[in-house]
Amino acid sequence: MNRFFLLVIVLFLVSIATAQISVTGTVTSSEDASTIPYATILVKGQRNVGTATDENGKFILPNVSPNATLVFSYIGFIPQEVSINGQEIINVVLEPQLTTLDEVMVVAYGTATKGTYTGAASVIKNDALKDVPSVSFENALSGKVAGLQVTTLSGQAGSTSSIRVRGIGSMNASNEPLYVIDGVPAISGNTGQMGDYLYTSNNVMSSINPNDIEAITVLKDAAASALYGSRAANGVILITTKRGKRGKPVVNLKASVGITPDWAYNNWETASNEQQVEMYYENFWNAGVYYENKTPEQASANALKQLNRRFNKHGYTFTAPDNTYNSLTIDGDRAGSYYDWEKALFRTAIYQTYDVSIGGATDVTNYYTSLAYTKETGRVKTNDFDRITGRVNLTQKAGKYLEFATILNIANSNKSGLNDSRNTGSNLFMQSRNLLWGMYWPTDYETGEPWTDRYGSYAYNPVYYDNEWENKSKTLKLSASEAVSIKILPELVFKSILAYDNTHTRDHLYYSPLHFNGSSANGVVREMSTTVSKLVSSTTLNYNKEFNRKHTIGVLAGWEAEENKVDFQRAEGSDLPSSALKTVATAGVLDASAYSWGNNMLSMLSRATYNYDNRYYVSASYRRDGSSKLGPDARWGNFWSTAASWRIDKEKFMESVDFISNLRVRASYGVNGTLPSSNYGWRSLISYNKKYMELPGGAISTVADAALSWETSYTSNIALEFGLMDQRITGTIEYFNRDSKDLLQDVPISRVTGFYSTLKNIGQINNKGLEIELEGQIIKNRDLLWTIGLNASHIKSTVTKLYDGQDIIWFEPGGDSRTKFIYQEGKSTLAIYGKEWAGVEDETGKPLWFLNNDETGDLTIDGRAITYDNSKADEIILGNVHPKLYGGINTNMEWKGMSLGLNFTYKVGGYTYDSASKDVAEDGYYWERIMSQEQYDNRWTPENKGAKLPMRVALDLNDALQRSSRHMHKADYLRLKSLNFGYSLPKGLLSKTHISNARFYFTGVNLWTWAAHKTYDPEVNEYGSKGFEIPIGKTYTFGVELSF
Amino acid sequence: MKNIKILITILSIVLLSSCSDFLDVKPTNSAASETSITNANDAKVAINGLMRSMVNSNYYSRNFIMYGDAKGGDFAIYAQGRGLDGLYTFNHSQTSGNYGGFWAQMYDCILQVNNLLTNIEKIEAEGLGDAALLEYKGQALTARALIYFDLVRLYGKPYNMDKESYGVPLVLDLVDASEKPTRASVEEVYNQIVSDLAEGANTISKSVKNGFLNYYANKAIEARVKLHMNDFSGALVAAEEVINDKKYTLYANDKWVNSWSTAFGSESIFELGIYENEADLGTSSLGYYLLRLAKIKGASGWFMASDYYLQRLGEDADDIRWGIMDYDETSPTRFGSSLKYVGGPNMNGDKGGKVSATNVKVIRLSEVYLIAAEAAIQQSTPNKMKAATYLNEIRKRSPNIDLATEATVSLKMIIDEKSKELFAEGHRYFDMLRLGWDIEFNDDFIYPNVLIPHREKIIDRTFFKTILPIPQDEIDANPAIGAQQNPGY
Repeated sequence: MNRFFLLVIVLFLVSIATAQISVTGTVTSSEDASTIPYATILVKGQRNVGTATDENGKFILPNVSPNATLVFSYIGFIPQEVSINGQEIINVVLEPQLTTLDEVMVVAYGTATKGTYTGAASVIKNDALKDVPSVSFENALSGKVAGLQVTTLSGQAGSTSSIRVRGIGSMNASNEPLYVIDGVPAISGNTGQMGDYLYTSNNVMSSINPNDIEAITVLKDAAASALYGSRAANGVILITTKRGKRGKPVVNLKASVGITPDWAYNNWETASNEQQVEMYYENFWNAGVYYENKTPEQASANALKQLNRRFNKHGYTFTAPDNTYNSLTIDGDRAGSYYDWEKALFRTAIYQTYDVSIGGATDVTNYYTSLAYTKETGRVKTNDFDRITGRVNLTQKAGKYLEFATILNIANSNKSGLNDSRNTGSNLFMQSRNLLWGMYWPTDYETGEPWTDRYGSYAYNPVYYDNEWENKSKTLKLSASEAVSIKILPELVFKSILAYDNTHTRDHLYYSPLHFNGSSANGVVREMSTTVSKLVSSTTLNYNKEFNRKHTIGVLAGWEAEENKVDFQRAEGSDLPSSALKTVATAGVLDASAYSWGNNMLSMLSRATYNYDNRYYVSASYRRDGSSKLGPDARWGNFWSTAASWRIDKEKFMESVDFISNLRVRASYGVNGTLPSSNYGWRSLISYNKKYMELPGGAISTVADAALSWETSYTSNIALEFGLMDQRITGTIEYFNRDSKDLLQDVPISRVTGFYSTLKNIGQINNKGLEIELEGQIIKNRDLLWTIGLNASHIKSTVTKLYDGQDIIWFEPGGDSRTKFIYQEGKSTLAIYGKEWAGVEDETGKPLWFLNNDETGDLTIDGRAITYDNSKADEIILGNVHPKLYGGINTNMEWKGMSLGLNFTYKVGGYTYDSASKDVAEDGYYWERIMSQEQYDNRWTPENKGAKLPMRVALDLNDALQRSSRHMHKADYLRLKSLNFGYSLPKGLLSKTHISNARFYFTGVNLWTWAAHKTYDPEVNEYGSKGFEIPIGKTYTFGVELSF
Repeated sequence: MKNIKILITILSIVLLSSCSDFLDVKPTNSAASETSITNANDAKVAINGLMRSMVNSNYYSRNFIMYGDAKGGDFAIYAQGRGLDGLYTFNHSQTSGNYGGFWAQMYDCILQVNNLLTNIEKIEAEGLGDAALLEYKGQALTARALIYFDLVRLYGKPYNMDKESYGVPLVLDLVDASEKPTRASVEEVYNQIVSDLAEGANTISKSVKNGFLNYYANKAIEARVKLHMNDFSGALVAAEEVINDKKYTLYANDKWVNSWSTAFGSESIFELGIYENEADLGTSSLGYYLLRLAKIKGASGWFMASDYYLQRLGEDADDIRWGIMDYDETSPTRFGSSLKYVGGPNMNGDKGGKVSATNVKVIRLSEVYLIAAEAAIQQSTPNKMKAATYLNEIRKRSPNIDLATEATVSLKMIIDEKSKELFAEGHRYFDMLRLGWDIEFNDDFIYPNVLIPHREKIIDRTFFKTILPIPQDEIDANPAIGAQQNPGY
């Protein structure tokens, strides 16, 4: 303020001297034509003469010489010089600064400018997140950051994705990154308990409204993340929510509607009803003729008997006069019509979101508030999600030294009709693709009554049963943080944050007495309540000072305490009096449980940075963590990092090289860690969960290792950053090497000991890789801006050491062990293990297997021994799930208020594992089930010798059930992950309204896909497998955004 | 400024001094195992836990019982894919269909026993032992004998066939997680069983304890074990002690059917409790497996009586044991469905609650009578009079059939009676293996719905799949045992 008065006085004095004019005008941004408040206007060549724009971007500069030149500048924009030439009105449009080097980004315990930061970090800004129709932000990160892998687990409404930063660094502990929201480590992962009953998760990250996110920083190397110590080995995702912008309050309204009429890709499309009948018949015919020496008459009679027995009751009859499938005819009352289960179970999903926010700031107050509502009615008819979120971000200065920042976030979400259970009876997708024949009808054709019996095998009538059970999860998340900053000295800031995060999830699961899961108990209802709370107290002292305009030093020191607690309660009632009452209170039999668990942590942390002349940078950090998850002797761990960088382009010898606008190398090395997932792994425990005859019972439940300790990662990182032609082309090439040691390993132990496995700190994994990020402006002129960005990551993830060098065979978690893996020294961390499929014998249609041992085979192919009997074949490593290359290609075009963005994701190399083909493309073992088109087209028949799949035969041949290379496929794909088209109305049209900005947009998600293997969606889970979880869809979203 | 410094100092002190407590977070539903068994009360809790572990679905509450019947020729299946049909079809291999749950669950039970015994020894060594503690020691030893007996019959050849062959690993103490025990011989396992039973009998009480083992259970197990060892006189002595002490009594003919609606009847020497919200398996319980398809919601008719069994029981249309049979899905006149595990014909369970929460009667007095009868006729100097007397106590449940006499009694008669009486109680298969008799499967009953490529229609104990393979998981973790795999697998 003082300086401002001084300025006015100086201006006043100057004005007396010469004949002056007064200049007025508005400063706007070329980006979105919005006005720029507080832009600086200086008169060139005159010290301390000038002004600033007001809240509306308007300025008045009295008493300037008509020949003077004005310099307009604002942070993040290219300064512009304008000669007055006697004009009294000057409107200036500032171009945003294309160099991202000065961009301020949020990093661990503070901020840094991109060009000076010594660690490896990537920033994703709100623009990339805001239009993607997704309940959670993770999906929008797909293909945007090198080294980041986002896997979508399910297409269920309200489901979220999982993130891996730079490969897999742990076998047993978590591979999830640490999430830090506005400087506070957040509750992440699954919060509810429904996963005990249904295959589903309730990822609490979906409680953040993606529209509230200003930016996301992904910390990748040790220099960037080691300050988070024992939880940082898997990378850190820093989420920064929005703040108000200086100026008048801006009201933002946004509404969008998206529809998902179809799946994104093929998902084991079924063969036609007629083809199913043919395969069913063939199954028994082949068994009779080829295996049991029956005549075609006998075999045909048997096959027809099977068909008639199964389908007569549904109104179909079958005959085959010439005893082969050629004459197979379907008659009966319902002949010619089939029930469309796909239509009965799935619908067009609708996604809607409405968002209102108000933000603004003055010199002392900064505020941002928002309220948003999102509703998704899922593709599965029973499946819905809705969420309401509210946020207040407020910063208030009190006097010169004190600043308070308050952040409040409330989110309430409801999910219902979750159906990803791998339990075949309730998984609608499996029902539709594998179990429900078109010849099964939801009603009895004779009586018209609902069909309630099992159709056979595990096929149920979902039209009936979906009304006989329900599930809901309701999550209320409340987080509040209060930070106080005290400017002790201009260079020294004390900051203390106290944050409380409370997430309460209520799960409700009900089966009526008529449902097969509730019948034995005469109806059952479960209410589960899980409260996850986290209290974080973090205090830091931060010192930053520049000496002699050459040396800048920064020192940070602090400590942190964290308390995590989960309170769990379950009330269960069975023998329910009425189907109208789905409450525990009314139940005849009650059962309950309640207990709590948790862990605490104490930490001390520090960091020092030094910068010489903006050319040389060094930094170091140190953190000491103590955790209750470890025994007293192993409890404390030290984590540290060092890093340096060098701005080569600022050296004298580079001055002549004009086309290089930025050239920098940086390198870092550091140590961070991962805690075991178990809270009490170091304690040997007796669990009292063995109630017997209504008496308490206990049993030893864990084999403990008192020496259980951290997993430690040693990461080195080296990167070259460059910018060419005034930053029109920018890029980063980065190499990292991460040795994760003392990995917790579930060492399988002899079950004779009473246990399956024990946890030990013994394994080692190495991840190394190369990441490339490139961005270029292909065309840049006044009207058109076309940019292309490309990122590619190559990661080699290898097991380097195992307990006693012994292999460990393990299965994908999730209950049904669908993919089998092996940890073997020197091999991939995701090495698929199983028997090697050798295809089909052309003449007989019999399955063939490579023996892979010293036994003598039944025959040989290419000199390798082959057997017909899969039990004789040995298991080997079949392939690697990790791709050779993955990443994204993003392009954006802007032309006169219109923008078109395309984001592609891709994967090259590696394998996926098909865990559904053992059900939908098998050789007759599950003959009551329906088969895929793939099975129909590729099975062996006398007419199709040289087939890919064996002859179908209704014997207990379990070849398809073996985990083998038969189910392994190439993972390569390219997907148009999102397409965004936006149009902003010209300012001219809006000038008469109060609307400052109006934008319409269309976003299409998963619109186009190319995949090497065409049978199922190529976006697989983190274990590379795909099964019967609800697939993801193609979404078309239309939205409008208005600012006032 | 000064205030802030003071604040920081205070905060540091508070934080750092409370540090050790702050980082000691204990669970609220478990306790440290080293200190959890210090007296008889704690031992009781451990015994409760042990019993509960024994009623796991992989053991007595379903699969073990099913194993003894599905493989013995008295059961048949009518469709495939309903569950556990691999037991009937013998679709077993090291990697799939190995029913490794038996191995894992039974050794989990062994761990619990060994933990309890170790702790009891510790308490005794401190001079704090008492009678109550001895009682639990007796129960634990008896339980260990029973579990090893079950294990060795699943994985080892019959004692009287090849006792030098591999039995199962014998673990009698708490072992380190890194141990990789290998198989003892069948004979060594049986010797351990006999010794555990003898030691247990010294301290276990004779009083009836519903749901738990007592002295008579110990003796009944001994009789069973000795029968398997061809020690017929030993079996007879043990069985007769149970019979003569009269703590248990046979059901009269008019009470027999109702006994299935009651928990802990007068014949129940060892009955495991299955209570709602404990080990109750609901629609996948033993009771549901045996009910006719769709008789009640969720009943799937997995297993029903074979023609051979129905023929056997059909020798007398008035046999009281028909009272527990219901017609099956094939015809309203074929009474192949057993109601033993749903509380009898009224289907109210055995405690008036949930149908599936029905106890499993592990040892009944009827069996002991039949063991006595068999031992009497099989011993080196057969006592046919005695055999007939014991047999007739059960045989009279078929009122129209002539009682056995010293002249007519035969081993087959006794074994047939055992089949009739103990149908669906998990005995037939083990008897057939022990006796080396042929087992014929009623495969024609299900043909052509199910084709059975994994075994012949008639097998005997020389068929390698009559015992289970050591599961692949065990071999993965304990490679040495891989070399001891049962031949054929």
